[in-house]
Amino acid sequence: MNRFLRRTRAIAHKEMLHLIRDPGAVYMALGVPLVMLALFGYGVSVDIDHIPIAVVDQDHTPASRRLLQELTAGGDFVRAADLPSPEAALPLLGRGDVRGVFVVPEGLARHRARGEPGALQFLLDGSDGSYASVALGDAAGVAAAASGASAALDLPIRVRFNPTLRSAIDIVPALIVMILSMVSTLLTALTVAREWERGAMEQLFATPVGRTEIIVGKLLPYVGLGFVQTLLITTLGAYLFDVPIRGSLLLLFSTSLLFLVCMLGVGLLVSVVTKNQMVSVQVAVIGSFLPAMLLSGFIFPIENMPALLQAIASVFPARYYVSILRGTMLKGSGVSLLWPQILPLALFAFLVLAVAVTRFSRRLA
Amino acid sequence: MDGRAIRVEKLTRRFGGFVAVNEVSFDVAQGEIFGFLGANGAGKSTTMRILCGLLPASSGSVHVAGVDVVHDPAAVRRSIGYMSQKFSLYLDLTVDENLKFFGGAYGLFGRDLRGRRERVEAQLGLAALGSRLVASLPGGIRQRVALACAILHSPSIVFLDEPTSGVDPESRRAFWRLIRKLADAGTTIFVTTHYLDEAEYCERLGLMSAGRLAALGTPIELREAFVPGRMLEIHGVGIDALRRSAAGLPLLSVEPFGAALHVRVDRDGPGADDLRRALAAAGVPAQVAETGVTLEDVFLTVERATIAGGGG
Repeated sequence: MNRFLRRTRAIAHKEMLHLIRDPGAVYMALGVPLVMLALFGYGVSVDIDHIPIAVVDQDHTPASRRLLQELTAGGDFVRAADLPSPEAALPLLGRGDVRGVFVVPEGLARHRARGEPGALQFLLDGSDGSYASVALGDAAGVAAAASGASAALDLPIRVRFNPTLRSAIDIVPALIVMILSMVSTLLTALTVAREWERGAMEQLFATPVGRTEIIVGKLLPYVGLGFVQTLLITTLGAYLFDVPIRGSLLLLFSTSLLFLVCMLGVGLLVSVVTKNQMVSVQVAVIGSFLPAMLLSGFIFPIENMPALLQAIASVFPARYYVSILRGTMLKGSGVSLLWPQILPLALFAFLVLAVAVTRFSRRLA
Repeated sequence: MDGRAIRVEKLTRRFGGFVAVNEVSFDVAQGEIFGFLGANGAGKSTTMRILCGLLPASSGSVHVAGVDVVHDPAAVRRSIGYMSQKFSLYLDLTVDENLKFFGGAYGLFGRDLRGRRERVEAQLGLAALGSRLVASLPGGIRQRVALACAILHSPSIVFLDEPTSGVDPESRRAFWRLIRKLADAGTTIFVTTHYLDEAEYCERLGLMSAGRLAALGTPIELREAFVPGRMLEIHGVGIDALRRSAAGLPLLSVEPFGAALHVRVDRDGPGADDLRRALAAAGVPAQVAETGVTLEDVFLTVERATIAGGGG
């Protein structure tokens, strides 16, 4: 073993001791993923059903009663109130007691009996956008199913990769991205800044340890930690939420390593430049967590963003990693399909480390 | 190395327009305890950092342990030990772990590292404290741990930057006994301090003032060069009253010294009794005693000369 490896090992070992002696860091490293997995996996479900609605039957025919029954039979909607007029439903909508109102206008049954097109009315509370869009989709679905006569226009929809559109399957890969972004960037940003603040960096510089050795030695324990986190989330995802890993495990973990190096590099760069723990934390959150959350395609599809935001999103590695994870875990894609995402990730990792090492001035100014 | 561990010639360091170190030259012999004195901001720490290869020089030449530090600052690190001002140990690590880490940083490993660690711990009285977290130890012991980290790799020169700041007097004395032993074993010690009583432990002193090396020599040489004659210490009288009452006596200088006054007189000038009589005659009863010239007297004289000389 040569001197480089020995000195790097000494730093990595010391860093590991810091890590395991710091209850806050251990909580952040392992507790945060668990909490987030529970929150997003169980709590923040985007599967919306049992939407409370009011019904207004102005037709008063057996056909209209049957129609309203069919609308609420599937479980998407719960019939919370029967009202005489749409106006009577408005206070309920305003209070949020119901999220929508089905109105069967007078004469609907007569029109349909004559084979003319009839129209249902659906009033919708639009104050919660995502809720409303789900309700709207459900309403269109049940209306189409209930219309019967329009069977010829029936649209055969089959959702691939996540047939029942369960949100856990979508969220677990995204969670890996968010946790790796946040925890690794934050912890590395703290570790180097702490060294400066303690004055220990000067002491280190007086030893034969080189800057590459400091950086590699400091990153190694966090690479290991990131792997444990990835393993934890994928395993729990598989057991608790049946999230599949259809592609190669090797590809999944090697791309995770690549992404990890990107985020560790960002954390390192931040702390090398700021040399201050407080500032580091803030910059690390803005520079890693927010892009991972908002610009990765996890919550908002990138394709729908304005061109400027799309350009910004393409700079952050999170979006590529989200695509890779969805590809390897859900679609079973291989390198041949994913290289356009892997390449930018590798480029980012190389650049950020190179800049961090260069900026990490060996001398004390 | 011709017996000289450190050779500094016309060393200058500028920060923008500010000259922190101005044409400083001195040598330190192998095995010598060399003290570097001066007020805060006088250029002590800057000089020491340049010597350790932590800061580039603006001009001049520096040789430490036979290495040209100006041209190859990294090469010097293997041969020196450095204990920085705040003795920056890792508080969440134990004494042993700190030592293992710094040993590893110097490329030591395995049985050699363990042997050295045990030896140094025994030498500095840390053997029983190996598994204690540094955070739980008092300042005086942390200081010894920091010294242990700096000498683990048997450097030929040890740099100590204000090693005793924030440490109680008993620990300071014990620390200096350890330094003495190290020097006796052939290690060169370069130490900055602003405790003038500690400077007495040094074999030779350099006195920095406003970036210049204002004085250089053994403590005895410095006393004779800057504060020749004898020193009288007077209690119970103000500086103006003394000047008025003793106007007839040839006093070389009068300096406030704590609550007392230090009056310097020629070797064959007035004695304590003469001064006491003169003060009594003027109606100012005071205690007067012969006292030794301290390094603080030297320091005050040098500082005054620098200021009078336009800040060097």
